[in-house]
Amino acid sequence: MKKNYIFLAFTAFLLTAITSCSGFLDQDPDKIMTDDQIFSDAVMIKSVLANYYGRIDGKEWGMNINNGDQIYNQSVIDDVAKFDGGPDQRSTFEDDRFRTYDYTYIRNINEFLRGLRATTVLTDAEKRPLEGEARFLRAWAYFNMCRAMGGMPIVGDEVFEYESGMDITTLQKPRATEAEMYDYIISECSAIAELLPVDKQTNSARANKWTAKMLEARASLYAASLANYNNKMSNPVKTAGGEVGISADKAQSYYTKALAAAEEVIRSGVYTLQDAKPDNKARNFYEATSVKENNTEVIWARDYKYPGQTVEFTKINIPRSHAEDIDNSAYGPTLNLVEEFELIDAATPGQRQKFVTEENGTYKFYESASAPFAERDPRLWGSVIYPGAEFKGAEVVLQTGQLVKENGQWVTVVGDLDSKDDNGNLLTSFNGPKESNEQYINKSGFYFRKYMDETGLASTRGRGSEMWWPRFRISEAYMIAAESSFELGNGRAAEFINAVRARAGVKPLATVTFENIVHECRVEFAFEDHRFWDMKRWRLADKVWNGNNNDEQARHRRLWPYRVVAPGDPNDGKWVFVEDFLFMSPNARYFQMKNYYNFLNMDWINANPNMVKNPYQ
Amino acid sequence: MKIISRIIPVVMLLAILSSCGFDNFDAPTSTLVGKVTYNGSPLNVRGTGEAIRLQLFQDGFDKRDAIELFVGQDGAFSAKLFDGQYKMVTRDGNGPWVNSRDTTIVNVKGTTEVSLDVTPYFLISGENISVSGSTMNASFTVNQIVSTAGIDRAMLILSKTQFADDVNNIFRQDFSDVSAGSVSLSADISGNNDVANAKALYGRVGVYAKGADQAIYSPVVKLK
Repeated sequence: MKKNYIFLAFTAFLLTAITSCSGFLDQDPDKIMTDDQIFSDAVMIKSVLANYYGRIDGKEWGMNINNGDQIYNQSVIDDVAKFDGGPDQRSTFEDDRFRTYDYTYIRNINEFLRGLRATTVLTDAEKRPLEGEARFLRAWAYFNMCRAMGGMPIVGDEVFEYESGMDITTLQKPRATEAEMYDYIISECSAIAELLPVDKQTNSARANKWTAKMLEARASLYAASLANYNNKMSNPVKTAGGEVGISADKAQSYYTKALAAAEEVIRSGVYTLQDAKPDNKARNFYEATSVKENNTEVIWARDYKYPGQTVEFTKINIPRSHAEDIDNSAYGPTLNLVEEFELIDAATPGQRQKFVTEENGTYKFYESASAPFAERDPRLWGSVIYPGAEFKGAEVVLQTGQLVKENGQWVTVVGDLDSKDDNGNLLTSFNGPKESNEQYINKSGFYFRKYMDETGLASTRGRGSEMWWPRFRISEAYMIAAESSFELGNGRAAEFINAVRARAGVKPLATVTFENIVHECRVEFAFEDHRFWDMKRWRLADKVWNGNNNDEQARHRRLWPYRVVAPGDPNDGKWVFVEDFLFMSPNARYFQMKNYYNFLNMDWINANPNMVKNPYQ
Repeated sequence: MKIISRIIPVVMLLAILSSCGFDNFDAPTSTLVGKVTYNGSPLNVRGTGEAIRLQLFQDGFDKRDAIELFVGQDGAFSAKLFDGQYKMVTRDGNGPWVNSRDTTIVNVKGTTEVSLDVTPYFLISGENISVSGSTMNASFTVNQIVSTAGIDRAMLILSKTQFADDVNNIFRQDFSDVSAGSVSLSADISGNNDVANAKALYGRVGVYAKGADQAIYSPVVKLK
């Protein structure tokens, strides 16, 4: 009996063992693809390329409008402050802020290039633009690394393989010099430009010839200004081996390259400074940066599309009175930025102009809340929602309180949000601004407009916004041409900068100074991830962001509007403004010498002892 | 059988108790204390924000991370270490002194004292700081130590705590046209509510040398 059981069990086991080979567990993974599977299918090749476009908007890649982390990045400099919750104690800059270090990405692109070049499913003509795009993204990655850390190892097209027992030191590449790194990016870009298509791409989401040219121009300009301004410091930031620091004699040739590349983009005529509404320059500027339809301005952008690919910027920053969901008022511009926009009829154009809040020993009375702003550079309306400005067809009311007369003296009265006085006049508006540790309140007196999506439901949690994030605009080509012309002294700087200013709607400059260029870049490219890098390459960051809490440039400031309620007084119904340091940013921005280059992570150095540390590390 | 069932818990208990210590180390017990000095007298520097650091390295290990020593505002530093030989350097480009980065060998055994001699660009002496009404007055002598160094700016600083420096303060004013020798500066502090309301007030002056990433300071003076 026992034997029978054993025999039966054995037979059953044998049967299962044999029939189990039907292979129902033996499936190909649907998330891991082999090179053969990818490179034998043109659609797969394209979707792998799309993956590379999606991987360059993490927070270490600079400012962005994608999510809370990246929008917070905007507030590390002097243009934007946090409103959300209590004060942000930030003052100094981290040693790893915006530190791009992504050799996984570069390796993946090199693997892609290897597969693409070998594949037979595409013709050579079809391969060329794809190779160009992949190499462009690789150059972009190197550029992002270089502006953060200086020269880093250049690995070329090589895909490194490691087998156990192999001599690891052959893989430990030393850092390139900063000049070599920029040279590599520039030469890659000028080679790639010949591979890429010349036409505009849908929503400028994919790279074309002009994108590569813009990167060439920007990289040349960065290298030129490092060679120029670093060596003008009393103690230039450099390493003995040149991993950081470019010699001054190279500035001239870099400026020349920057000018040539920028001019080529301008002369191509594929993109033009958008000037579709000559009678409404303010609206026009908003549309040039933030509306995709009929856009002639944007050369390369991270595009977003619902469903699946949306951004939070509109949702978290929309004015409270216009919010479609819970979130609103998380960040907003500071007075530091707003006062940079000059008066349209300025006596000396091209420079910052403070707001007049007092006159003849008392307040200066303005006819309306928007009066002091409406007479400024139209780009102010296009970038910032100021008190009394319109958004989506409805006014954004920003009112801190009232200015009333008590015993012949003017005094300010402030109430709770959305409160009225005894006569039913608005005391403090629904939006603020107000000093508070709570969220969902405006605190500086200004909201964003640039990148704020006017589409319905764009500020809801469920949908999100399709707003793009432009990385290159044609006006940058003009500004690069203007700056390099100025540095080369060829007398053409005014021609380029005035093209940008004419489109904006401000007076042309007769002569151009360095300060004019700094000013123009700041107002033209507000919130576009230019200023942080500009201030670094001009070596101005440590001078302007000096950590002095009494310095009105280094510390965030606000401008609060009050409505005059004094029946019988000639100033009744007018508006006054009060300027002060922003309570939300108690500490001035403090950019130290060590912040010009990020520190290298010690893990990288432990893994690759050939990597030299950065200065001050 | 019964014996085995008694033994098993005992063995397990032993295993649990004895397993501690296998991958744990004792904390370091030796102390390294020291000062950053010039000609034997300690330097007054910024002591907050981990701004001034020294680095200790020890040879013979895989990792190359430095042990960071943070210098206080009186130039003092300390660290808990294991006994052994360490190499001490200043951090590259850091501090109001000439960036020489010469290695100092430190043999730590028990409590060890060390002084790290550096060459500051300037020294401040004879400081006299006062606040009267809405004015802050300071007179002091800037002694030029390195003959080629230039002054980038001098700072008058007020703080409501005894930590006073270019970042940690309630009032700071910079003066750019200052030259070595005897200096007398005054600043208008009217309209600064932090100063007016401060229960305690400390003053300090500092001088930035051109190209240095940190300033040299006077000692902190209690004003109120």
